[in-house]
Amino acid sequence: MSEKLKIYDNDNIKISIPNKPEFVGVVRLTTSAISNRLGFNIEEIDDIKVAVAEACTIILESQLTNTNIDIEYILNDNEMTIFVRSEISEQDNEQLAEKGLGLFIIKSLMNEVEMKDDSGIKELKMIKRIEDVAQ
Amino acid sequence: MALEVIKNFNDENQCWIIKPTGELDIYTSPNFKEILNEIIEEKRADITIDGEKLEYIDSTGLGVLISALKKLKENEHNIKIINIKANIKKLFNITGLNKVFIIKE
Repeated sequence: MSEKLKIYDNDNIKISIPNKPEFVGVVRLTTSAISNRLGFNIEEIDDIKVAVAEACTIILESQLTNTNIDIEYILNDNEMTIFVRSEISEQDNEQLAEKGLGLFIIKSLMNEVEMKDDSGIKELKMIKRIEDVAQ
Repeated sequence: MALEVIKNFNDENQCWIIKPTGELDIYTSPNFKEILNEIIEEKRADITIDGEKLEYIDSTGLGVLISALKKLKENEHNIKIINIKANIKKLFNITGLNKVFIIKE
């Protein structure tokens, strides 16, 4: 098979929302639009939408942060990587450990999920692959 | 999109029929929780959630349903969920909540 020309090569999109629950709906719409652009099927689009919204919800439910939530989408031809980041205090961090249901949902829907804490920044990294593309 | 909730008590079956329209998420679930608490306070009975017009549910919405079910179970009552869309059914399945609630197609 000849090598296909890449359409998306680590192309990225960033959005930043206020730490307010009414903006999670905006993230859902944006996530669906970007996933659709990349060629995911309807079920995959829904999985990604739910996972990204749950990641925002985990951060919002901790309630103590006043900083924005940053969402970054990195687009490649056969997969999308999404980072959801926010500043978190130590106290938030302890509370976050209890948000089991949301994290469980994310892990069930995405191919890879990684949670990182780095100098007060909480980062959730998620990867979704397009399943019908030959690897 | 906001969430609108129609609530009715069905005298014949002695149960509440709750019909949410829209999205049940971190923004709308506090209001939905209040509505469920109110009706449970008014009359303890089984609750049927008609999901025909429910477009989306997240972990906070599922949490509200779980806490309502806990309250109802004290009096041997239950929550039945009917007419839910495939995307919502999937969430009940992956979380195992399909075995906790009575789900009818």
